[in-house]
Parts: sequence; C-alpha cells; structure tokens
Amino acid sequence: MNTIPIIIDEKKLEVDPGKTILEVCRENEIEILTMCHLKGVLDIGACRLCLVEIEGINKLLSACTTKVAANMIIRTNTDRIKKYQRITTELFFAERNHVCAVCVANGKCELQDLGYKVGLDHIRYPHLFPQCEVDTSHPWYVMDHNRCIMCTRCVRVCNEVEGAHNWDVMNRGHQVRVISDFNSPWGESVTCTSCGKCLHACPTGAIWPKAIVQGQLQKNPGMINELVEKRKMKL
Amino acid sequence: MNRQDLKTIIYAEKKKEETNKYKHKICVCCGAGCISSGSEEVMKKLQEEIKTRGLENEVEVIPTGCMGPCNQGPLMKFLPEYNIYQKVDCSNISAIVQSQLIEKKPIEDLLLFADSREKPFIDARDDPYFKKQLKIALKNCGHINPERIEDYLVHNGYLALDKVLFEMSPEEVIAEVKQSRIRGRGGAGYPAGLKWETVYKYVNDQKYVICNGDEGDPGAFMDRSVLEGNPHRVLEGMAIAGYAIGANKGYAYIRGEYPLAIKRFELAIKQAKKLGLLGNNILGTTFSFDVEVRIGAGAFVCGEETALIASIEGKRGTPRPRPPFPAESGLWGKPTLINNVETFAAISPIINNGGEWYSEIGTPKSAGTKVFALAGKINYAGLIEVPMGTTLREIVFDIGGGIQNGEDFKAAQTGGPSGGCIPAEHLDVKMDYESLVSLGSIMGSGGLIIMDKSSDMVDVARFFMEFCMDESCGKCVPCRVGTRMMHDLLQKICENKATQIDLDRLEELAVYVKETSLCGLGGSAPNPLLSTLRHFRQEYENRIVQHD
Ligand SMILES: Cc1cc2nc3c(=O)[nH]c(=O)nc-3n(C[C@H](O)[C@H](O)[C@H](O)COP(=O)(O)O)c2cc1C
Ligand code: SF4
Ligand code: SF4
Ligand code: SF4
Ligand code: FES
Ligand code: FES
Repeated sequence: MNTIPIIIDEKKLEVDPGKTILEVCRENEIEILTMCHLKGVLDIGACRLCLVEIEGINKLLSACTTKVAANMIIRTNTDRIKKYQRITTELFFAERNHVCAVCVANGKCELQDLGYKVGLDHIRYPHLFPQCEVDTSHPWYVMDHNRCIMCTRCVRVCNEVEGAHNWDVMNRGHQVRVISDFNSPWGESVTCTSCGKCLHACPTGAIWPKAIVQGQLQKNPGMINELVEKRKMKL
Repeated sequence: MNRQDLKTIIYAEKKKEETNKYKHKICVCCGAGCISSGSEEVMKKLQEEIKTRGLENEVEVIPTGCMGPCNQGPLMKFLPEYNIYQKVDCSNISAIVQSQLIEKKPIEDLLLFADSREKPFIDARDDPYFKKQLKIALKNCGHINPERIEDYLVHNGYLALDKVLFEMSPEEVIAEVKQSRIRGRGGAGYPAGLKWETVYKYVNDQKYVICNGDEGDPGAFMDRSVLEGNPHRVLEGMAIAGYAIGANKGYAYIRGEYPLAIKRFELAIKQAKKLGLLGNNILGTTFSFDVEVRIGAGAFVCGEETALIASIEGKRGTPRPRPPFPAESGLWGKPTLINNVETFAAISPIINNGGEWYSEIGTPKSAGTKVFALAGKINYAGLIEVPMGTTLREIVFDIGGGIQNGEDFKAAQTGGPSGGCIPAEHLDVKMDYESLVSLGSIMGSGGLIIMDKSSDMVDVARFFMEFCMDESCGKCVPCRVGTRMMHDLLQKICENKATQIDLDRLEELAVYVKETSLCGLGGSAPNPLLSTLRHFRQEYENRIVQHD
C-alpha cells in the first residue's frame, strides 16, 4: 500500500492513509491521552483529551476522529495541550462525586490513572456535588451515576457490538445522564441481554458487578475489540 | 406547467395589477410582532369597514409579512401613497378610511413615528428609517400576501428558477453565486459560492439541500420574518441550489416555536407543486426537486449543522466532529449543502440581477445586505436590512431612532450567545464580518441588542453563559462542565463574592472552552464573557473582593 509522510512531534513517519492520528500515534508509541475512545466502537470526539495541534489548522482537532493527511505536521505535547489535558481532567473530577478511597474501581480506574498521568494534586474548581442515582435494580450489575463521566462507551458498545441498545443519553448540558431503555430501572430493561460488555467498556467505577468487593474490580476493555476482530474472521 | 405557462400567468397577474382593478391597496402587517399587538383584529375591522362603505371593488386589503418597525405595530400601509399608520387601534379605522379614501388625505397624527418625530413623513419611503435601508432578502416582505403564490409571481417570483433551468448550466449558476461574494448568513459567514462548488464537485447520485431555519438565538427573528413574509423566495433559492449542486431533495428545518412560518412554508410548497415549480420535471425540464419540512424541537444546538443533520435523521441532536464536513458526508452520509434561510432568500435576486450587482453592495469582503433584529433600549425596535458596512451609529440613531428616553448608548450586543458587546467608543464600527471580529464580537445571525447605562455588563455575560450552559448538548467535557463552571463563577462575581483568583480562573476557563470544545456552541460560548472583559473590565474588577 502507498504510504504518506507525516511528522509527529518532530518525528518523521511514513504511515498508511485512512488511519486516524490516534491510530498512528499508538502504533508509533507516541502517547495520546484518551477517555471516550474505545477500540472496537465508533469514535465520537467527546472527551477532548486527545486534542492535537496541526500546522496550518487554527483549531485543535481530536486525534481519535481526524484522519492523517500527507505532510501533516502534528504536535501532541505542547504546553498548551498539556495545560488543557489537565483542565479537562480536573473538570471530570469536579463534575460528579469521585471518592476513590471508597470506590470499587480504586486502583483499576482509567480516570484515576489519568489523574496520575497529568499530575493532578488538587482540583482548582469547586466540586459540583450533583445528586446522582445508584441503580441497583439489575440482578448482577450496578450502575452508579456518581462515577459516570459520560464517555458513552457503554452506550456505543451496547448498540454497536451487542446490538441491544439498552443504553442511551437523556437531557442536555451538565444534566445529561446515561439511561436504560426509556429511563427505567436497569433491572426492568427489555433490551438488556445482561452480556456485561458495558461493564468492561466503562473506564470508571460507574458500572460494576455486584459480586465483588471494593478495589477488586476486574475490567477488560480490550475484550471489546477482540470480540469485534474475531467476528470479522471467517468461520 | 411549462415555461410558457409560467410566463402567461405572470403576464396575466401583472396585467391585472397594471389595469388597476383596485384603486387602492391596504397592507396590514401580519408579522409576528404586529399580530401580537392585535393586527388580526385590525384586519378584520378594516375589512368590515370597507364592506359597509361598499368599497370592496375599489380597495384590496391584504395581510403581509413584517414591515420592519415592529414595536410601532399594528401597522397599516396604504398603497400607492405609501402612507403608513402606526399603533392602529380598531376605534380609529373608520376615521382613517374616511380620511384616506374619501377625503384623500392622511391623518398625520396617526402616521408612522408621528408621536416620536417632530413631523411624520407622509410618504414613508422618505423617512430615514426606510431610506437608510436596502431591502434585498426582505424585498417583498410587507408588500405581498405570503399565502398567495400569485403575489410572488407578480414580483418576478420564480423567474430566477426559470432562468437557471433554461439559460444556465449548474457551473454557471455556481459562478454567479461565487461572483456575488455572498457569505452564509447563519453566523459563520462562509462564502456560499465556494460551499456550493464543493458540494457540486462530490460525485454522488444522491445529494441533499438543507435550509437551516432553526434560529435559536434568544431575541432573533430574522429567519422567522423571511419565512413568514415571503416563503416562496426561500423555496426558490433552495430549488436553484438543488439544480446547481445536483440534488433532487431538500429539507427545510424550521423550529417548532414558529408555527406560522411552518404553516406558510408548507402552503408555499403545496402551491409551488401545483404549478409545477417544484416536484417532478420542473417547468417541463428534466430537473426534479422536492422539499419537505422538518420541525425542530427547540434546542439551540440543533441549529449547528451536524446536530441538525442528526436530528433530521431521527437521532439525538448532537454535533459530531468535522471533518468530514456535510459537503462531503452530510445527511445519511450523502453530500449535503446546508445554508441559512437568509442566504437562500438572497439567491433569486443574485440570479436575476447578476452576481456582480450584488457584489458591489456592501464592503469588499462582506458583500450585500444583512438583516438585523433590532431590540433592547432602542426607540424603533424591529427588523431592518442594511448594506454591509453601514455603521452601528447609523443603525442606532438614523434607523433605530436613538436610545429610549434620550439615554446614552452604552453598548450593542451582536451575535447573541456566540457574540460580544461593542462599547460606545466604537459606535462608528462598520457592520461587516471582519470589523466585528476585530472588536471581539461577531456578525452572528443578526441579533442586535442595544443597551443603555441600566445594563450591567457582568450580568449580561452571566445571562448568555446561563443560556449556553442550559443549551449545551452535554457531549463534550469543556462545554458541558466548563460552561457550568464559568456560569457559577460569573454568578459569584454578580453576588460580589468572587476574588481575583476566581476572575483569573474564569479567564483561563474561557480560553480553554473556546479552544477545546467540539462544536461552535462551546467554541463561542465564552465570547460574551471575553468581550465584556475586554471592553468593560472595570465592571468586573469593581465587584471583586480584595481580601481572600
Ligand atoms: C450552536 C450553533 C447554533 C447554530 N444555529 C444556527 C441557526 O439557528 N441557523 C443557521 O442558519 N445557522 C446556525 N448555525 C450555523 C450552522 O451550523 C451553519 O453554519 C449554517 O447553517 C450554514 O449556513 P450559511 O453558510 O448559509 O450561514 C449554528 C451553529 C452553531 C454552532
Ligand atoms: S470512578 Fe475512578 S476516579 Fe471516580 S471515584 Fe472511582 S476510582 Fe476514583
Ligand atoms: S457508565 Fe461508564 S461507560 Fe457509560 S458513560 Fe458512564 S463512564 Fe462512560
Ligand atoms: S461544544 Fe457543547 S454543544 Fe457542542 S458538542 Fe460540545 S457539549 Fe455539545
Ligand atoms: S479520545 Fe478523542 S475525544 Fe475522547
Ligand atoms: S411584525 Fe409588523 S412590523 Fe414587524
């Protein structure tokens, strides 16, 4: 296949056209922070952590949704980008109620990892402390909206991979919530197949199985893409 | 209907007009503003009056779209004299008819602006209010009955469509639009011709035209007035666009809060189809084009093109990252041209008079005219259309009649929740895309709110931030959480509880949200804040508590 030349962080690369900047970075071990991206489902560019600078384009573009083009000069780690990654992370933590010490995901959480990565020692914005529901109606799983960061990975996995479309989003702005069916308790869902894919897709302690103790959560988000790839193979 | 039939109808209608079946025509403004001040009652009363006097065969009474000075309504215009009466009260109608039609002289005290000018202008066209304006998009608004296609035909309606179908290739149409240098009127000001050309170049057997009539800016009613006052003009523009880019299907996305606009636009579609000006084989040619109305549910974000497209597709109306732009992958993944109502309304005059004619109006970089919805502390609030480059001072004082109660002008807010404020020292700014941006505001879609000293600029910023916070779709983090944080900080400043650190955080957040948000809603949400900080920083600082 023909390759195209691009430059990322001063590094000259020959890459396949048609790939996203994120894919190319991952293949070449250039770190891009992500949260809404999940390999195996469609990218939506929502968390804005993966923003990069591209010469000649005055806007920051999300690496997960932008395809490489010949002679692109991309920067992933400027001071401005680092500063914005930090603010985004702070906003994630301030938005809902994250008390890691008592969270099932403590130590196994992508948001927590992100906090360490951007060197978050404190949050400069007031916590919003919204009143969020904990839905324990499902026989096996719990949905804790206090820990949800609205990445919608669960929504996409359920729709695109499982084909059930149990999850969706309601309301606008900071009032948005992930809902089961038409906003009914998860346990009453007529679409949920209890497959558990959303649990593995979820980066935080928002969806977890009842049969675990705190800090013992095991998630395998990579499993989603493995599934997708296996399905593509001829039987 | 074929080409000859169209000409025959137009000819017959013109003849009717010329032979003056009626000696007088009375236009009663039935735009939204005048309806709310009671023009439908006036219309009814006037018709009764004409009947009791036995003048039905001499006088034609028609309802029209908005005439402009909405806060002086209900308005009533006598043609051919161009005498306009303001604040018409049902109890005055008999006297007005007596004086106008029988005694053949106007009642000066009741004419437009009679109570606010030393002397009203008998022929309203001499009034600086109208003299300083140039109506292209609004040309027939206030003159024709929007519910009759024949009224539009008499005013050369659908002649531009006829011209492109029989005399021009799609390339030539695009060249004409490019030459006009018209820029999209929905806010961003992207050159329309260039957009048409881009969509034209994508090869696909299915393409779409979308007319954006979502108009969610608080206080804006430009598109509404065009749709209500002259729906056929927009329809014709869409059909011409369809021919140019190779689309056979169009959607008009109109917000649900505009039931009259929806009704009139749907009626217009029906009438045009009946005459063969829309539908299959338009005017007997091989070109087919159909238009459907889609009703928006009142979310500001659904005016954003990718969210609007998602909404038409029946999905949740949230924006998606661009590229790909709708021109490449739009409605159902097909190449799609999306333009604003006012942009489409300018197309047929551009075709009829030539792109060069249009390009010479306005300024070199901002050609043509722009419709503004004048509101706030201004004497003559309503709908105006002026050449680009008209100064703010001319709009406020010559057209708008100055500030209410003789107060001083403090600032003008342009572009609504995505725009900014222009302070008094820049009253001579030319109203065009570049000049407004250089002052930290934007042209936007045409909202223009005039403020006097009673306006508190921090509160203005807080108001617009609250709007953006509520209207954020919630998809991306900077806008979803950032607008909430900025709103809370602004609230804190308004309550005199904020410190310098809060103000610094606010400024940092503003730049962050502007640069990182997914779509233009978040991308421009900080504008009112940033522009008031730029021009009225003192008002913020006065409220900062000094001790921590
Ligand atoms: C939050 C948001 C709201 C918008 N609302 C409208 C609207 O109500 N009407 C409109 O024509 N364009 C609106 N736009 C701009 C559209 O995305 C698009 O640029 C426009 O319809 C293109 O038409 P034009 O080139 O003729 O201006 C909005 C954009 C954003 C980001
Ligand atoms: S979801 Fe993650 S960040 Fe939130 S409380 Fe749990 S461990 Fe902490
Ligand atoms: S529940 Fe988990 S996966 Fe779903 S949106 Fe919330 S954080 Fe994302
Ligand atoms: S900027 Fe706001 S409105 Fe636009 S996608 Fe992000 S959250 Fe939605
Ligand atoms: S990972 Fe790209 S925007 Fe979230
Ligand atoms: S509605 Fe009558 S003048 Fe605007």
